[in-house]
Amino acid sequence: MGRIITLKAMITMRSFCLKICLLLMLPITVWARTIVVAPHTAVASLQQAVNLAKNGDTIIVKASTYCSVNTIINKELTILGQGKPVLDACFKDEVVTIVSNNVTFDGFVIQNSKTGSMRDFAGIRLSKVQNVTVSNNTLQNNFFGIYLSDCNNIKVLNNHLSGSNNLENSGNGIHLWKCKEVLIRGNYVTRHRDGIYFEFAKKSTIENNLSEKNIRYGLHFMFSDDDTYLHNTFRNNGSGVAVMYTRRIKMLHNTFTQNWGGSIYGLLLKEITDAQIEGNQFIRNTTGVYMENTERITITKNEFKSNGWAVRVLASCYDNHFNENNFEGNSFDATTNGTLKENYFVNNYWDKYEGYDLNKDGIGDVPYRPISLYAQVIEQNPQSVMLMRSFIVNLMDKVERAVPSVTPETVKDEKPMMKPWKR
Amino acid sequence: MKRICILITLSTLLLSACSRGPEPVLYGKDACWHCKMTIMDKRFAAEIVTAKGKIYKFDSAECMASYLAKNADLASNGKTLLLVSYYDRPGTFEDARKSVFLEDPLLQSPMGGNLAAFDSKASAKIFEKDNKGEFLGWAELLRSKQ
Repeated sequence: MGRIITLKAMITMRSFCLKICLLLMLPITVWARTIVVAPHTAVASLQQAVNLAKNGDTIIVKASTYCSVNTIINKELTILGQGKPVLDACFKDEVVTIVSNNVTFDGFVIQNSKTGSMRDFAGIRLSKVQNVTVSNNTLQNNFFGIYLSDCNNIKVLNNHLSGSNNLENSGNGIHLWKCKEVLIRGNYVTRHRDGIYFEFAKKSTIENNLSEKNIRYGLHFMFSDDDTYLHNTFRNNGSGVAVMYTRRIKMLHNTFTQNWGGSIYGLLLKEITDAQIEGNQFIRNTTGVYMENTERITITKNEFKSNGWAVRVLASCYDNHFNENNFEGNSFDATTNGTLKENYFVNNYWDKYEGYDLNKDGIGDVPYRPISLYAQVIEQNPQSVMLMRSFIVNLMDKVERAVPSVTPETVKDEKPMMKPWKR
Repeated sequence: MKRICILITLSTLLLSACSRGPEPVLYGKDACWHCKMTIMDKRFAAEIVTAKGKIYKFDSAECMASYLAKNADLASNGKTLLLVSYYDRPGTFEDARKSVFLEDPLLQSPMGGNLAAFDSKASAKIFEKDNKGEFLGWAELLRSKQ
C-alpha cells in the first residue's frame, strides 16, 4: 500500500516539476513573435521588420520584389522568405548585411549589388558573427555573392549563385576571409571570379557543391589550413581548383573536369604540405594535377582519364606518394622539369604499360616509367608537340622504354598493376 | 633606287621588332610568373621588362618583389623596367621605383600582402584605415622580401 502511495506522490511531483518548467519557459515562447512582411501593409520592407523585431523573433517575407539597399540584420532572428521574395539593391549598395549571431536567413532571391573597384560589395555579407545559417537562396548578378569575414561556425547550404560573368565586375561567389568552422554544402556557383574562395579560413568543410564556368578557379585556397573538400564537381572553370600556401587539406571524391587551355589545370598545388588527395576523378583537363613546391602529399585511388598531362610534378616537390591510381587515355602520364627525387609511384595502373606478369600475381614484373622520352623532349622544346603521334615519336618512345637512357632513372613504378583498379 | 627601298623597309622591320616595352596583361588569361595564379585584378597587377625585352607578368607587387629578391641581378640592373598598377587607377602601368606602397589590412591584394601602389603618399593616404597603414618605398619593399 505504502509503496503505491509513494509512487503516486512521485508522479504528481513529476508533473508538478514539468509544469514549473513549462511556466519558466513560457515568457520566451509567449514573447517570441512572428512579423510578416508584405507589400502595401504596415510592414512593407525587411528593414522595417528588423527594426520592430526583438531577439528570437521570426520574420516571414511574402513573395514580392522589395528594394533592399543594404538591409542590416543586427538582431538574433529567423528570417524566412515565402515563395522566393526578391531583395534588389538596384546596384546602389550591398543587399543584406548580417552583423548578429544566431541568424537564419532562408529562401530569398538576392540580386543586383553594387560593383566597383574600391570595395568588395556583396549580395549577403556576414561580418564578425557566429552560428548563422544562410540557406536556399538564389543570388544573381551580384559583385561578390556570399561574403564571410571574421566569422565562425557558419552554414552556407543549398544556395544558387550566378555572377555577371564580366571580367572586371565579378567577385568571388562564396568568399571567406579569416573564418573558422564553416560548412559549405549543396551550393551551385557559376559566372563568378572564383566559385569558392578561402583566405585564412580554417577547419572548414566544402561538400557536394557544383562549381562551373567561373572565370578563374572553381575553388581557391590561400593560407587556409585543415580544410576538407569532398564530393564536389568542378567543371569547365578557368582552372579547376587551386590550393596554395596551405597545410593539411583533404581532397576526397571530387570530380575535376573540362579545364582546358594553356597554364590551366584541374588541380593546382603550390607550396602545400601534408595533403591527402583520394578517390578523385580527373577527366579531360589540359593538366590533371600540377605540383610545385609540395611536400608529403599522398595521391591515392584517383582516376586520371583523357587528360593532356595527367600529373606534372616540378623538381621542387619532395616526398609525394602516388598509389593505386588509374592512368588511362592520357597523352602524357607524368612530366617534370628537372631531376625528380623522392617521389614515389607504387601499384598504379598505367594503360601504356607493356610489361608482362609471369607469376600471375596481377603485378607487372618489370617497372613502368611514366615519363616518356617524348615528354622530356617537349619539356625542352614545346614546339615539338606538332610531332605528336607520329611514327618517329612512337619509335623513339619504344626504344627508350626498352633501353632507358634519357628518362629519369628514379621515376618509376616498380609494381605496376596489370588491370585497372575497380571501384 | 629599288634596292634602297628594300633596304629601308627591311631595316625598319628589323628595328621595329627590337623595340622594348611593356606588354598589356590579358586579365583572366595570363598567369603570374611567381605564384602561377591567373591574373584578374587590375588594381594590383605588375610587370617586369628586362634589359633584353623579356616580359614577366605578376598578379601583385608583392609577387614581383618576391621574384626579384631571388633574382638580384635583374633587380639591380637599372635598365630593367619595373611596372606596377596604381590602386586608384586600375589597369595603368607606372614605374615601381617612383611609387609609394601602402600596406594596410583593408587592401586585400591577391597574395595576402595587403599591399597596393600609389603615385604619392597623399593619394595613398586616402585609402589608409584608422592610421594603421605603413608606407613603403620600392627599395624598402624589396628589402622586406629578402
